[in-house]
Amino acid sequence: MSRILKALAVGSAAALALTACSGSGDATGDATDTSSSSSTGGRADQLTIGAVVDIATWKAADAEWGNTATYHMAVYDTLLRTAADGTVEPGLAEEWSYNDDMTELTLELRDGVTFSDGTDLTAEVAAENVLRFRDGASSNTSNLSAVTDATAVDEDTLVLTLSQPDPALTTYLSQNSGLVAAASTFDAADAQTNPVGSGPYVLDADASTIGSSYTFTARDDYWDPEIQHYDTIVINYYADASALVNALRDNQVDIANTNSTTQIPDAEAAGYTINSLPINWKGLILADRAGSVNEALGDVKVRQAINYAIDREGLLQALESGYGEPTTQIFGTGTEAYLEELEDAYPYDPEKAKALLAEAGYPDGITVVMPQTAFVPASESELIAGVLAESGITVEYEQAGESFISDLLGGKWGMFAFGLNQEPMAWMTYQLALAPGSAWNVFHQPDETIESLAATMRLGGDDADAAAKEMNQYVVEQAMFAPFYRVLGVIVTNDATTVTMKDGQAVSNLWDIVPA
Amino acid sequence: MSTATTPVDTAPSDTRAPRAHLLRRLMANPLGGPAIVFLLFVAVVAVIGPFVAPNDPSATSLQNIFAPPGDGLVLGGDSAGRDIFSRLLVATSFSIAGGLLVAAVASAIGVTAGLVAGYFGGWVDTMGSWFTALTMSLPSIIVLIAARSVIGPSMWLTMAIFGVFISPVYYRVVYNSVRAVRNELYVDAARTSGLSTPRIIGRHILLAVRAPVILLTSGIIAAGIGMQAGFDFLGLGDPTIPTWGQMLNEGFYNINRSGLLVLWPSLALGLTLIALTLLGTALRDELEGTGDERAKKLPAWTPSQESDPLLTHGEPVPDPLLEVDGLAVAYEGKTYWTTVVHDARLRVARGKTHGLVGESGSGKSQTAFGILGLLPMGGRVVDGSIRFDGQELVGLSYDDMNKLRGHRIAYVPQEPMSNLDPAFTVGSQLTDPLVIVQGLSRAEARERAISLLGLVGIPDPQRTFDSYPHQLSGGMAQRVLIAGAVASHPDLLIADEPTTALDVTVQAEVLDLLRDLQQELGMAILIVTHNFGVVADLCDHVSVMRKGVIVETGAAEDVFREPKHPYTQSLFDAIPSGAPRAPLPGVTSSGDLGTGSLS
Amino acid sequence: MLKFVGKRLLAGIALVAALSVLTFFLLQTGSSDTARRIAGQSATEEAVAQVEARLGLDQPVMQQFLNWAGGALRGDFGVSWFNGQPVTDAVLSRISVTVSLAVGSVVLTALIGIVLGALAATRRGWLDRTVQFLGVLGQAIPGFLMALFLVIVFAIKLDWFPATGYTKPGDSVNEWLLSITLPVVALTIGSIGGVAQQVRGSMIDVLNRDFVRTLRSRGLPVRRIVFRHVLRNAAGPALSVLGLQFVILLGGAVIVEQLFSIPGLGPLALTSTSLGDIPIVMGIVIMTAIVVTIVNTLVDIAQAWLNPKVRLS
Repeated sequence: MSRILKALAVGSAAALALTACSGSGDATGDATDTSSSSSTGGRADQLTIGAVVDIATWKAADAEWGNTATYHMAVYDTLLRTAADGTVEPGLAEEWSYNDDMTELTLELRDGVTFSDGTDLTAEVAAENVLRFRDGASSNTSNLSAVTDATAVDEDTLVLTLSQPDPALTTYLSQNSGLVAAASTFDAADAQTNPVGSGPYVLDADASTIGSSYTFTARDDYWDPEIQHYDTIVINYYADASALVNALRDNQVDIANTNSTTQIPDAEAAGYTINSLPINWKGLILADRAGSVNEALGDVKVRQAINYAIDREGLLQALESGYGEPTTQIFGTGTEAYLEELEDAYPYDPEKAKALLAEAGYPDGITVVMPQTAFVPASESELIAGVLAESGITVEYEQAGESFISDLLGGKWGMFAFGLNQEPMAWMTYQLALAPGSAWNVFHQPDETIESLAATMRLGGDDADAAAKEMNQYVVEQAMFAPFYRVLGVIVTNDATTVTMKDGQAVSNLWDIVPA
Repeated sequence: MSTATTPVDTAPSDTRAPRAHLLRRLMANPLGGPAIVFLLFVAVVAVIGPFVAPNDPSATSLQNIFAPPGDGLVLGGDSAGRDIFSRLLVATSFSIAGGLLVAAVASAIGVTAGLVAGYFGGWVDTMGSWFTALTMSLPSIIVLIAARSVIGPSMWLTMAIFGVFISPVYYRVVYNSVRAVRNELYVDAARTSGLSTPRIIGRHILLAVRAPVILLTSGIIAAGIGMQAGFDFLGLGDPTIPTWGQMLNEGFYNINRSGLLVLWPSLALGLTLIALTLLGTALRDELEGTGDERAKKLPAWTPSQESDPLLTHGEPVPDPLLEVDGLAVAYEGKTYWTTVVHDARLRVARGKTHGLVGESGSGKSQTAFGILGLLPMGGRVVDGSIRFDGQELVGLSYDDMNKLRGHRIAYVPQEPMSNLDPAFTVGSQLTDPLVIVQGLSRAEARERAISLLGLVGIPDPQRTFDSYPHQLSGGMAQRVLIAGAVASHPDLLIADEPTTALDVTVQAEVLDLLRDLQQELGMAILIVTHNFGVVADLCDHVSVMRKGVIVETGAAEDVFREPKHPYTQSLFDAIPSGAPRAPLPGVTSSGDLGTGSLS
Repeated sequence: MLKFVGKRLLAGIALVAALSVLTFFLLQTGSSDTARRIAGQSATEEAVAQVEARLGLDQPVMQQFLNWAGGALRGDFGVSWFNGQPVTDAVLSRISVTVSLAVGSVVLTALIGIVLGALAATRRGWLDRTVQFLGVLGQAIPGFLMALFLVIVFAIKLDWFPATGYTKPGDSVNEWLLSITLPVVALTIGSIGGVAQQVRGSMIDVLNRDFVRTLRSRGLPVRRIVFRHVLRNAAGPALSVLGLQFVILLGGAVIVEQLFSIPGLGPLALTSTSLGDIPIVMGIVIMTAIVVTIVNTLVDIAQAWLNPKVRLS
């Protein structure tokens, strides 16, 4: 059973707010040449990475993932790893196995792993990390919602007890949920700024400026020197899109994520190689499916009308210069839920949209309130409003303040434009956006059909694949979302650097960035 | 802040044509004219822009994204397919409105508070200076960013807060102006004549602060527009309001997809700010008269009046040390010359004292400056000759003239305190010329300076040497200046009203000092004075000057005994008997010759 | 003189105190739901309450202020609500960068502005007009436009300077100089005009003062008079305007830092206000005010020192 799961598990977590903050810049792998740890011997001096998202906290228990994964992968190890193609591989745990009903995961930890403070890795520390993450402040805590307990059976053996099976658990354990920090950080006052991990590099706090630039140096006694391709790694955070473009033009970074596809021509002109893969879908989340904030949205006809109102090809050209592909489904192309016919389930048809609105009892159209933030250029939101207006859907923008994400996830707005990670596994998409407890099921509405399908998916196998497809179909029919398109995530590299992009994740594995 | 004022002591206080209307003068200004025309254009666009915009500035269109100009879109479409031209028109409205709001809020608060605090003082004054200090302790953008986290992205509120924050700029200027005029005579007069307080403020003080407030406003509007653009550019503004900053933000975000997006808002913003700044410069030039007065080449100077014949007593001095003939000094105005000396004729004998007398404004000091080659800015010797010991001084370069100044010709000024540099010690001011000009070593110069101070009758030379000018009395300061003048053993000492600014008792001492020094050093003195007592006391010869012309000259006793020119006679008539050394009163209608800018 | 300095310092302290009261209470009015945002969206009510208790947000505002002020008096400005970094560390490390930019451009502004102003005042004519016009241009063009232009020409086309980033002077003085050159120049261009104008104006004022004529009559060369006496006497107003420029440049640095990705106060101010990280915002406001107050006091002291009347009393 675990083999099947391994094959399926192609990991990534929701980029959460970070997705929105960075425009659409989350990127994943183009899997040109696979094989992780493709180290070819000699180490290079320094790698300079341009990042478009800053790391908010180093505390492993509160860690985000997505764009900030690079930071964590420098200083921490995860219990498991996922290769660029999504295969789950050994990490701190050399071996892992499920019991028969998949409610107990046993992980055998590696010997001789030390943290940068000199202490040894033990199963006890690892167990504590898992529990602390589950109870922490990360937006991905629901990834471990099935974990009822984590115990150290002996020095090297960690057992996770589950309330019900979770097919993505091993993938999650290769992400923020599986980060292992030293025990000394658990209650340390400076845990947010001073990471102590067992990872390949250590943060050089003196050479770093929080919120701007971080320097990491390779550890001498790291257990897996194969993945240390550089003596030093510098991550520069660019808060301003023009600053990143200027850094690219001046060849100041070896590798960078981009804020937007509009930066591609600049990067190319500066001699960078463009690596891209669709990893986000961008569109509207029609969150208020019970009609509690906006009654109209409770009507499926209205939600379908919104879907018909969207000129996907036009928006793709307008907002992304065509770098992407229009779609109406939120499940990724590589997942078992993907259905070719759902790519264009709601062809652009303003007349039909109006007709559906009239049928639903809104012959004069509807008015919806959506948030507008400084993260997204104003022209983008205006354009979306303009497109919807043609079908009688009037958007009134409300200026979101500092509590934007908080308000958003708290259910202040019935619908909003957003980008969500195109997860590599159908189950993960369910966990991210559909499960009653998931963050992006903003109003946390349970849906019987989805729950019963999820119960099947949870157990895996062919039935699970069929259930996933059915779930996709159902979500599209119910018009729970109004996706515009899948947008390309872009990572640019210079001549001295090559990268293997990672399926379903904004950034590549750190060890998949190697000297050319 | 005052920059250059009219040249000191020359008294052509209003050389310009009768004050034309300010606007007309501004239009004629080479900077102001184009700036006003452009700003008028911008103002018209700002007012009618929203009404004449061909399209809805917020209407998006997928078809028009980055559309090239044409086809109903004059300047093409932006990244959301909005009509750039329409947006530009509406953005002009909002941007200008933002700038005006800043100026309105700032001036309403600043001017009101400045008027009240300046006129009444008290707690408003205290509050005002506190608030001023507060706003100066933080960059305004930090305040606006912090304020944004409280009020959210509101263009109007942000601009209003900025207006409050920079209101002290008005406050200070108005406050100072009010303070300055408050105690002036006409306000006092108005107060005693029973005018109510509001009317005093309204009538006099508002008039006085009008100019600086107008001047500031163009700068404040520019600051407001610039701040708004910066704020919007950072993405902190209100995205629903099209402004130049928003368009710039959008343009920079898409600079690689369409470079033209940046062009239009940059041009609008840049040109408007330049025009506002130029307008400010032009305004200041016109209000304060600091502009380049010589924009046009003046026609050559021509004598403007017939000279009276020179009435002489006795034979002219043979072999004079200084011979001035037909000297004319004039100032360049914008359109014509102002002639202050028409026809000065002087012969100063070696080793003798020559008095140059005349009433205030007769051109005596100008003649002296002309001889020294030290006419104030804009003044020039336009005619005549000055021969010193046979050498023609007119036309001599500054450097050549410097070979005489400080060596053979020296100068003692009228007002002792203002003629010492307040920032340097007496000693430093005395030794510097000795070292630089005479080539003495520091130590020699120091010794010499101290002995000079002794020579001019200063009781404790060392202490005075180490003093700063503000620590000296007027008489002491004048002795220091005389010491400086005679340091080089000059052949000619030109003393310009050397006693006028001094107390009567000190005057006598200084005159005695000059006489003693002359005898000791054997130099000639040309003493400019309006005081016949001084002439009687000191002079061998005297020349009388009237309206820039020397009308009578001769040995002092001859002129005293038998004044020929009616003007000389009237001067003598005005001397009260028995007070030979007192200042000459009552010649001009103002009734007092003894103070102010006598020449 | 000592009394004067003491008075100025007291006034400065009072000012900073007033400012901190004002800022603290104004910021309170704008923040909402802070504990939940810090605890995370999925956090339980209990966890949120814990955060509230830990940050003292459950106390009355007045008590919160007293806690903050008590710490601040001991030099402890608390920690960032969001990343736990001590405020003092965060702000000091960044304010030093911003201040070095501002000081760099004030120095550059002073050098160029004084030379240009002095030339304009003494030569007048075409030079005067050119200086004035360039000053107007520099003042009118916003700093961020200038910065982008400089980057494109000098960093990207000519590759003389890095386009973004900042090297600490401790790492390499050379690279530090290279990294701050473009930002400093971008800041400086806008302020030269104003300073040159002011220097020109006050020099013309001084040149028209009586003692200059007397000095000339002593046969001193013009250069000596201008550099020794006129500049010294015009230094007061020039210092005042430079002190003002420092504050303006500090503000300008906020925008320029963002464009050059320089870890100064600007980016910190932007992120902390957008997050509502009140301890950091307070730290920025107070420490900036302290720096500015110190600079203003120094300017006042220098002014006083330049004036022998004050210096000797």
